[in-house]
Amino acid sequence: MSLELLDGGAAMAEAAIAAGCRFFTGYPMSPFTGLLEEMSRRLPAAGGVCLNAESEIEGVNMTLGAAAAGARAATGSCGQGIALMQEAIAEAALNETPFVVFNLARNQQDYFQATRGGGWGDYRTITLAPKDVPEAVEHTQLLFHLADKHRAPVMLYGDPLLAQTRVGVDVQPRDFGPLPAKDWVLDGTGGGTGRSRQIWTWAMGKANDPGPGPDGHWRAIADKFDRIAAEEQRHEESMVDDAETVVVAFGTAAKFVEHVVAGLRAEGHRIGWFRPVTLWPFPGAALRRATTGARNVLVFELNAGQMLDDVRIHAADRDAVRFVGGVSIAESGLSYGPLLDAPAIRERILGGAT
Amino acid sequence: MERELVVSGVGGQGIQLLAKTLALAATREGRYAMLAADYGGEMRGGPSKAAVVVGDAPLQALPILPSAWSAIFAHHRFAEGVQDRLRPGGIVVANTPLVDPSGFRPDLRVFAVDAMTAAKAVEAPQASGFVLLGAYNALTRMVEPAALVAAMEELLPPYRRQHAESNARAIAAGAATVEVSA
Repeated sequence: MSLELLDGGAAMAEAAIAAGCRFFTGYPMSPFTGLLEEMSRRLPAAGGVCLNAESEIEGVNMTLGAAAAGARAATGSCGQGIALMQEAIAEAALNETPFVVFNLARNQQDYFQATRGGGWGDYRTITLAPKDVPEAVEHTQLLFHLADKHRAPVMLYGDPLLAQTRVGVDVQPRDFGPLPAKDWVLDGTGGGTGRSRQIWTWAMGKANDPGPGPDGHWRAIADKFDRIAAEEQRHEESMVDDAETVVVAFGTAAKFVEHVVAGLRAEGHRIGWFRPVTLWPFPGAALRRATTGARNVLVFELNAGQMLDDVRIHAADRDAVRFVGGVSIAESGLSYGPLLDAPAIRERILGGAT
Repeated sequence: MERELVVSGVGGQGIQLLAKTLALAATREGRYAMLAADYGGEMRGGPSKAAVVVGDAPLQALPILPSAWSAIFAHHRFAEGVQDRLRPGGIVVANTPLVDPSGFRPDLRVFAVDAMTAAKAVEAPQASGFVLLGAYNALTRMVEPAALVAAMEELLPPYRRQHAESNARAIAAGAATVEVSA
């Protein structure tokens, strides 16, 4: 094993290249910029292409094009930039073009944006929220696999602490199993034969090869997202079996919550934690099991209450759900404020548990 | 076991570089390290903090440390709250005269280091941050001294190669400071 001291951006760049990513675009925006810089440094050496796009809209659509031609491709941004990308992400979901979006946000206020989309049509976006850099290395590689497995755009939702903290990591290629052949890519081989392929959100086909049309196609897409929802839920939990209080958190905040809850447990509190690893599909059945018998289901997130909705939908007793997080932003606007701190979280949890 | 260092000072003192040097040295020794930086938009004069954690197994530490084993105080400004997080018996390197070494909790082990005077004495006036790092590492043996010098050299960009020797002198001078006083 060989450890390298990499910040999250560099670690995710290495992991993406290890996963076979050969096309990357982006437009600088902190804290995503570091990943873009690392890709521009590392990707050409790996035989790939990295482009600094003129805008996020251009970037995501170039990525869509590269992915349609068969490349493992990715893009990324933060907050406002992801908002600009939503139309293309929706198109890709509906025309089944797989790529990875690195949503390196400034805080946790973009949970809805990540999990509810903002584009048009019936679609969902598989979203993983790593709690730290080593997990981001794994998630990055898993996301390229999931994108190809389900022919869908997928998202990694991180934050400044994930993007900028340097950690000793050993990035090794991971094998997540076989994938279906990419027999749908627009590689030009069918040109002029009458059998050229097509990627079209409306699936209306061609004169000599009528497609299923929007009704049949979008039903099939909806069925596919139902299957993904059933297959791809991931979560972690600890000490929930006898817990009177279960604290639910995601991403970086969950790492802090795990630390605080372990301390409270050691002091004799009957408390455990639950972390959705996939924000969509939300691990609802697991949350229901984990919160069965709990008197307090506390939601800690650094926003005004977004994942809170999913917890309310799935908790065993929705009357037990209470919000103990909140908006907390640094003066710069570029990172978290004082609420993302173990002593502050401990106070919130103790105040929320009855 | 994980050992944590918090470095607190003012932008321009070399806070980020000394923390990065220590984290890289530990990494090159094959150990797990974390470096979490916290600084404002200003290049100089603003708050500058860094946390370094080193361990022999994958780290559990949070990127914002709830408690720490040791600290380097390079400046009295922006240092509020830092010593509150030090565990009892924690090691403190206090950069005098910018930091008053008598202003700490009595349970802490405080070592006063006049980094600027020591840096000037070895004709490395730009490297007082490395004096603090050399002193800290002599006290704690977080990494081998040679690993510290090698990491410093590795981090120098090509256009700063000429500082390698004076930086190394500063690291050694820092170590000598505490070896005399300790």
